[in-house]
Amino acid sequence: MTSPRQLPLTIEEAQAALRAGDVTSSELTEAALARVAELDERVGAFLEVNAAAHEQAARADAELAAGTDRGPLHGIPFGLKDILATRDQPTTANSLVLDPAWGAGTDSVVTERIRESGAVIMGKLVLSEFAIGAPDANKPFPIPRNPWDLNRSPAGSSSGTGIAVATGMVLGGIGTDTGGSVRGPAAANGHTGLKVTFGRVPKWGVTPLGYSLDSVGPMARSAWDCAAILNVIAGHDPRDADAADEPTDDYLAGIEHGVEGLRVGLPRPYFFDHPELDTGARDAVEAVADQLASLGAVVSEVELPHSDIAKDANTLTMLSEALTYHRPDMGSERWSEYGSSTRMTIGRAALFSAADYVQAQRFRSWYARRAAQLMTEVDVLLTPTSPGIAPVSSEMTDPARRIRQPSYTGPFNLLGYPALALPAGFSPEGLPYSAQVVGAPFAEGLLLSAGHAYQQVTDWHRCVPPIVEQEG
Amino acid sequence: MPQPYDADLTVRALLEAAGIPASEDETAKFVEMYPALRSGADALYADEWRYEEPALRFTPLRPEPRS
Repeated sequence: MTSPRQLPLTIEEAQAALRAGDVTSSELTEAALARVAELDERVGAFLEVNAAAHEQAARADAELAAGTDRGPLHGIPFGLKDILATRDQPTTANSLVLDPAWGAGTDSVVTERIRESGAVIMGKLVLSEFAIGAPDANKPFPIPRNPWDLNRSPAGSSSGTGIAVATGMVLGGIGTDTGGSVRGPAAANGHTGLKVTFGRVPKWGVTPLGYSLDSVGPMARSAWDCAAILNVIAGHDPRDADAADEPTDDYLAGIEHGVEGLRVGLPRPYFFDHPELDTGARDAVEAVADQLASLGAVVSEVELPHSDIAKDANTLTMLSEALTYHRPDMGSERWSEYGSSTRMTIGRAALFSAADYVQAQRFRSWYARRAAQLMTEVDVLLTPTSPGIAPVSSEMTDPARRIRQPSYTGPFNLLGYPALALPAGFSPEGLPYSAQVVGAPFAEGLLLSAGHAYQQVTDWHRCVPPIVEQEG
Repeated sequence: MPQPYDADLTVRALLEAAGIPASEDETAKFVEMYPALRSGADALYADEWRYEEPALRFTPLRPEPRS
């Protein structure tokens, strides 16, 4: 029997141990469930544990023993943000408002693909309500807490997936990202997360936030693990009108590509000189640039103009698209059934005009052309993922703070570009810093191989929150 | 150049038009954040992309062929 302390840290290690006969999926699952039992009351990652997890693990063990190998996720404890429909568990979107009939008896495309991979679905994970806003203690849902400091936010909206990966309750999971909801929690919780190119992963069966921005992506400890997950979930599906009919790569086959000659651009204005940017977070990313240069990358300074406006354009687009979905409920007595932060955030869209929305799309065209031009000069951009360490939870509800702060993630949702959040060190308080590597559309393979190269010479991604160590 | 406006009056009218039943306390918060939101939206109207086409998409749908 594998104790929680002995759980492999990564999917890469666990899948190797499974095939070497050093551990079984049932043992991995049992250990992960024990960790949920020990920690979840304090960190609030799970909405519902899947009662069928043991059965799925036993099936994976039987299949592997019989020589049926579905790939690296086979038998791996895995979590799904509770915004993805699952045929055998309710989907709530962390909200009292979502109609229980929505998604009932149905799997989202990504859920289908994760099931087919043989992963053990451990349960449905906490999120910010409908993937936006901050937790509301007056609603009957767990309050997610940062495992590195329980007084701090785990970020959102894929908070549960971020916490569960960081604490080893799951070895990998799925998040969604409309303005930074994969990368923010990956950064705050100290692991890796990939926001995919818009359309790379079908979003059918996922409750929408911003129709033209939403993406579904992998969250796991390492770039290797994210590549293994992306291999499973990427690819066209006709049920999603936005799904890209572009060939997928074998993201693990190219993972050892390295960074020799990789042209890395540091967009100085806004991303490195904003007055709200924590100097520690900035220095951590500078250190990543130095490390990549030592591995053969060619680092230069570049500019992506008007990225401050891109933040506002992304927010305006996201909120306007969200309000169209929520207006029937928000414009009714159900207004107060939404969490206070959710309704105050989505409700802001009512203060914009239809012309503002179209104008944001005109800026988007301009910004996209500037970015495409820039990406002929460099292969990737390197920026901080967040402007600082995870904030104290009580500060999360201050809208003025959100408006004042820069967003280093939202501009790349506006562009539809892929972006990888990588652990990049710790603050003096012991909280994770994160670097973001951004590529041109469908350059996920390049980002993952760059991240993997960095993680071969650093071990930030392998650091575990003290709360887990104390439990051992 | 945007004209001066009464934030309280504007916000109340916009929320009402959208059918959003915000409480008085919530309305006050919307009023407080409105100038920053309006300023952000106004910054989108810059000369640099004055003649840009919007990133919108529409594909006319062909009728299903009769069987």
